[in-house]
Amino acid sequence: MNWENYEHDMIRCTRCSYCKYIPWRFIKNFNFIEGCPSAARYHWHAYASGGKFNMGYSLLKGKSSIDDTFLDVLYKCMMDGSCDISCKVGNDIEPLQYMQELRIKCVDEGQMMPQHQPFIRSLRQEDNMMLKPRAERGNWADGLNVKRAAEEKTEVLYHAGCRYSYDKEFWPIARAGVTLLQKAGVDVGIMGEEEACCGGRAYELGYVTEMDKFAEHQMETFRTAGIKALVTPCADCYATYKVLYDKVGKKLGVEVYHITQYLEKLIREGRLLLKKSLPLKVTYHDPCHLGRLGEPWIHWNGKEYKPKGGLMWLHDPPKKYRRGINGVYDPPRNIIKSIPGLDFVEMYRIREYAWCCGAGGGVIDSYPDFAKWTGAERLREAKAVGAEAIVSACPWCKRVFLDAAAKNGDKIEVLDIIELIQQTV
Amino acid sequence: MKLTKEEYKVLEDIVGPEYITQEPVIMESYNQIWGNKLAFGDKRHNPPAAVLLPANVAEIQMIVRYCNKTGILFKASARAFEYVATKLASERGILLELKRMNKILEIDVKNMHAVVEPFVTVWELQNAAGKVGLYTGKPGVGYTASVISLACCHQEMTISQLYTSGYGRNVLGCEWVLPTGEILYLGTAGREEGWFSGDGPGFSLRGILRGRAGANGGNGVITKCAVKLYPWYASTPMTYEMKRQPGEAISAAMLEKVPENYHVVVLTFPDTEKMMKASTEIGQAELACIVAPAYLANGVMEEGNDEQYAKMKDMKPQDPTKAVRSVPVFVNGHSTRELEYRKKAVMAVMKKWNGYLDPEYNDPRELAHRFQYQMWSVGTSMRPTGDFMVSIQGADGSTEMHLNYRPVEFDAFKPFVSRGSIVQPNMGMSYRPMEHYSLGSSGGIATGYDPWDPDSLAAAREYMDLVYDVNSPFKRFSYTNRGAMMQVEDIEHIHQRWGPIYDNADVWLQKVRNMLDPNRVADWSGYIPPEYAKEDKKAES
Repeated sequence: MNWENYEHDMIRCTRCSYCKYIPWRFIKNFNFIEGCPSAARYHWHAYASGGKFNMGYSLLKGKSSIDDTFLDVLYKCMMDGSCDISCKVGNDIEPLQYMQELRIKCVDEGQMMPQHQPFIRSLRQEDNMMLKPRAERGNWADGLNVKRAAEEKTEVLYHAGCRYSYDKEFWPIARAGVTLLQKAGVDVGIMGEEEACCGGRAYELGYVTEMDKFAEHQMETFRTAGIKALVTPCADCYATYKVLYDKVGKKLGVEVYHITQYLEKLIREGRLLLKKSLPLKVTYHDPCHLGRLGEPWIHWNGKEYKPKGGLMWLHDPPKKYRRGINGVYDPPRNIIKSIPGLDFVEMYRIREYAWCCGAGGGVIDSYPDFAKWTGAERLREAKAVGAEAIVSACPWCKRVFLDAAAKNGDKIEVLDIIELIQQTV
Repeated sequence: MKLTKEEYKVLEDIVGPEYITQEPVIMESYNQIWGNKLAFGDKRHNPPAAVLLPANVAEIQMIVRYCNKTGILFKASARAFEYVATKLASERGILLELKRMNKILEIDVKNMHAVVEPFVTVWELQNAAGKVGLYTGKPGVGYTASVISLACCHQEMTISQLYTSGYGRNVLGCEWVLPTGEILYLGTAGREEGWFSGDGPGFSLRGILRGRAGANGGNGVITKCAVKLYPWYASTPMTYEMKRQPGEAISAAMLEKVPENYHVVVLTFPDTEKMMKASTEIGQAELACIVAPAYLANGVMEEGNDEQYAKMKDMKPQDPTKAVRSVPVFVNGHSTRELEYRKKAVMAVMKKWNGYLDPEYNDPRELAHRFQYQMWSVGTSMRPTGDFMVSIQGADGSTEMHLNYRPVEFDAFKPFVSRGSIVQPNMGMSYRPMEHYSLGSSGGIATGYDPWDPDSLAAAREYMDLVYDVNSPFKRFSYTNRGAMMQVEDIEHIHQRWGPIYDNADVWLQKVRNMLDPNRVADWSGYIPPEYAKEDKKAES
C-alpha cells in the first residue's frame, strides 16, 4: 500500500490525541504519560501522528505541498511506533505504516532531507550508515578467536550490526556477545569485514531500494555460508531481519534471534550459568525494535467491506493488526531476573508502550539534540523508579543514553544486557 | 487573511518564538475534528492564522488585548477534542492551545474542591484527588477531557449525574479572562477565603460564564477554575491493575474486581416504569453514587472491528427489552457497616418493585468492567462506524416525560435502522438522574453513523432534523443541546430557530455576548454570533 491508500486512515483519525500518550489504563505516574517524543518535544499537533494524518490528507487533496516544514515534521519522528500502539486501542487505523509510506513517497519524489545524504552515500559506497570505511568493519573482532562464517562452516552467525562494528566504545560488548555464545558451546561464527548493513535504518528513512539491495545480499551470503540461525545483539538489525524483510517479501531462510532470546534459552538449558551476585538496582529499557517493532509482520491481502445492513468497516478475510503484543519483552527480563543479587524494578512505560530512547527513524543522525532530549527523558524515568542502572538490549539505545547522560552530567549507569550477563557468568 | 508580519511579531514577543507558529503545514493539523464531516460536509475546516501556546494568564491577557486592538479573532482550547474545538469563525483568527497551563494548583480536602488549570484532565484529577479520598464525580475519556472545558465550556453531561450535574454547579471560583482582556474573578476566586464559591453578590455570574451548556470558547478564556469534589472511599484509581492475559491486546486490559468499599449490581425489573420508580427511590434516598438506568455499557471492546463483529455474530439472541428495564447501581460507604446498609437498602427497593439480579448482567468481572467504565473513564473510540451522535433529550425533563417520549423516538428511529443507515450501539435510552432525581432526569440515545458513507451521513442529518427541529412532530425542548453539545447544525441557525420559542433567549444571549465583547474578537463558532448574517435574517422573516 502506498501513502494514498491510507486515505481511510486519514479521514478516520478523530483527533483524540491518544497517539501522544501511553494507553491511559497503564498510566502509573502522571509525570510519565507521554508516549510520542516528537509531540512531547515539539508542541504542535502536527508532530503527533494524528497531525500527520491531517498533513497527508491536505496533501492528498492538493491543499498543501511538501516543503521544508513538512519534511521537518515528518522526520522529527523516531518511527518508534508508540503512537501506533495507543491509537489501535480504539481504532482500526495504522499511523506507523502510513508515516512509513509518506517517507517513501518523499524519497521517491526526490524530497530528501539533506542531513540524511551523507549516511545514504556511506551506505551505498561503504555498506554502512556510520560514515566509516567498509574495510574497518571487522576491526571490532580483531584478535577474537571466532570462526569466519564466509570461510568456515558455522551453524550460528553472529551479526554484530553497524553500531557495534564501528562504535569503538562498544567493541568490548560485541566481543563479549561472541564469547558468551562460545562459552555455552554454540557453534558461532562472524562475517567480520564481509558483514554488511541490514538496510533497516535506510528503509525507515524511506529508502526502500537500499534495503531491498542489502536483503538480497544477505540472503545470498547466508545461503552460501550455509548458516542455520542468525543471532544479533542489535535490536534494529533484529527487526529488519525478522520483520522488515518479511514485510517486503524477502525470505531470509534462516532462523532469526535477538541475542537475549538465544541467551535466555542457553541459561534455561543450563548451558550458561549466571553465578556471581550483582548487588545493583536496575531497570530495563525495551528497545522499540525489539519490542513493539520486533513483532512479526502479519501479511494480509484482502478488501474492506461493510456487512449487509451494517455500518462497521470489516475486512475480508479478517485482518489481524500488529498491536505490539508479540514483541520480545520477556527474554531480557527473564535474564535480568535470573541474575543473583540483582534488584529489578520496572519503569512506568514498558513493553509495547515503552518510551523510545531517541535513536530511531534517523533522528540520531539528523536531529541529535532531539535524540539526546528523548534519551534524557528515559533516564529521568529510570531514576524516578530508583534505578542505579538502566539496561538495554540495543547499541543505539545505549549510545543515546550515554550521550544524554554525558550532556546532562547524569550519573546513572548505562548498561548493555550483554555487559550485565558478562559480569555474572 | 493571515496575520501581518507586525501582528505576528507582537504575538511572538508575548509568548516567545518557540510557542507560536503560522507554518501552513502545521496549521493544517488544526483544521479537523471528529464531527467535521457532519458539521461542515468535509473533514476540514479553515485552519487558524496562527497557533499560540501561552504560559500563563498574563500572556493570555496581553494576547487578548492585542486582539481587541487589531480585530484578530481568538479562541482558547485545551485538549481540542470537542466539536468545533479548533474551528474559528474567520481565517483571521488565532488559536490559543493551553497545554502549558497544566497544573493542579490545589486540592482543598476540607472544603472538597480542586483548583486546576485548563490542560488538567479528568483522569489526572481523579487520581490526584483519589489520593486524599476525593473524586471528580464524573468519568473522563482517558486523557482527552479537560476538567475546565467540561465544567465551564461545554454541556458536561455525565453518565450518572447523581452528583451535581450538567448545570454548571460544579463550577466554583473561577479566573476568567474576558474577551476584553480584563480578568474577572468569579465568587471567592482570588480572595483569601479560597475558591470555595462561584457565586458573588448579585446575579450568578456562572450563568453568564457558561449558561446552560457552555460558550464553547466564545466567552473569553477560563484560566483557573475550582471544581467540586466528592467522597472517594477506595485507593487511588491508577493503583489498580488493569489485567489482561498474555497475548491479549491492550483493549482487553480491564479492572478485574470492584474496588474495596464499593459495590456494583445491575437490577432488572419487569418493565421500564418499575425500573424508573426504583431508580428514582434509590436516587432520592441518596443511597448510590451511580444510578444509570438502561445504561449497560461496560467499555469492553474486542481488538478490532473484525473481532467485534465475529463476537456479535456468535452471541446468543438477547431479549431486546431487558436492557431498558435494567439499571446499574453503584453504592459506596466509608465503612463496612455503611456499605452493608446501603447494599441492603438497594436490595429492599429492588424487591419492592419486583426486581431481580439477572445473572447475565451480574458477573463479578463484568461488574468490575462497568465500574471502571462508568466511574473512571469511558475511553474514546469511534471505531465501529467512524462516528456517533447523542440525541440528548432536554436535560431538565421529568422522568415521566422521558418514559413517554422514548417509544416515540424509537419508532422514529426504526426506518433509519431498517435502511441500514444508522445504528444504535447501545441498548436504549438512558435516564440520567439530575441531582438524585430531585431535578428530574435527562435522557439520551447514542447512535452510530458512518460520516464517510453518503447515505449514512444523509440519514444522520435527516434523523437529527426529525428529532430536533423546532418544527418537527416531537416539539421537544432541546434548544442548546443541539448547538452546544454536538455541533450538528450551524450555530446561527440554531439560535434563530430556537430563540423565539424560549422567550427570545437568543436576543438576550447576543446582548450579553456583545456587552462582554464589544470589539467582537472572541470566536463564536460554538456560541452565538454577535449579529446574524443578513441573508439568514431575511430567510427567517
